[in-house]
Amino acid sequence: MENDRAHIDRLLGPTGPQVGCDECFELLDEYVDLELSGADADALVPGMRAHLEGCPACREEHESLRALAGES
Amino acid sequence: MSATATLAYPRPGMDDWVDALRADGPERDRAVASLHDLLLRAARFEIGRRRAALSHVRGEELDDIAVQAADDALVAVLAKLDDYRGASRFTTWAYKFALLEAGVRLRRRAWQDREVVLDAERWPGFADEGPSAEHQAEQAEMLRALRHAVETALTPHQRQVFAALALNEVPIDVLAERLDTTRGALYKTLHDARTKLRKELAAAGFARPGDG
Repeated sequence: MENDRAHIDRLLGPTGPQVGCDECFELLDEYVDLELSGADADALVPGMRAHLEGCPACREEHESLRALAGES
Repeated sequence: MSATATLAYPRPGMDDWVDALRADGPERDRAVASLHDLLLRAARFEIGRRRAALSHVRGEELDDIAVQAADDALVAVLAKLDDYRGASRFTTWAYKFALLEAGVRLRRRAWQDREVVLDAERWPGFADEGPSAEHQAEQAEMLRALRHAVETALTPHQRQVFAALALNEVPIDVLAERLDTTRGALYKTLHDARTKLRKELAAAGFARPGDG
């Protein structure tokens, strides 16, 4: 079971700058292909990682796109 | 249709896809059909990943959802073709539209018969939570401070959005539909609410690493 501290951290979300949902969608394909190529996607697309930590829906789409694009 | 057959035409690569989709006549028709196959594959892939959570939904209905998602994704891709900059593979760019359409539909379907709780008095797993051992006392105090901040520092709308998305884990697309707004607008509200709460907690002596 999640402890209190993990619970609080999840409720408060990630700290630092992050993109919004619309920008996340715009950049998601580029971010995923950078990840799959072995590049430093977090450095090249700043704010994306924090958003994916804070937004479950965008995180699910990132995980799916990475898995699907990784098959190609 | 297999992925191999789906990708047989146009040949993979930005120019081939974009050029074919901008062509006239039979060449464009074939490209659009191939693109639809690609998008349908992506929508079915998404459904496959979530099948365990959708065991109560009939297979026919799920396939209808896949087709609807592919149809709407096709319209979106064709409408945004000029926005494709070649920063990713064309297939990766196109897939994301189908995954979005399928994901939104599946989240809404999963919550179709569930109540969306916006009431700030109903916070499962939070309002009744207390220290279970002495070493948790500080964190329990932090939880109490957080609850106080939620009640006193947020606007009513921020409190509703925070309660639904963060406390009750309502999918953001479900809440967006119920409140007639967008995912982006709701996430902005959630982000602003979290920023306020972190400041309130820091002022109360509960700063976290990275809080500014």
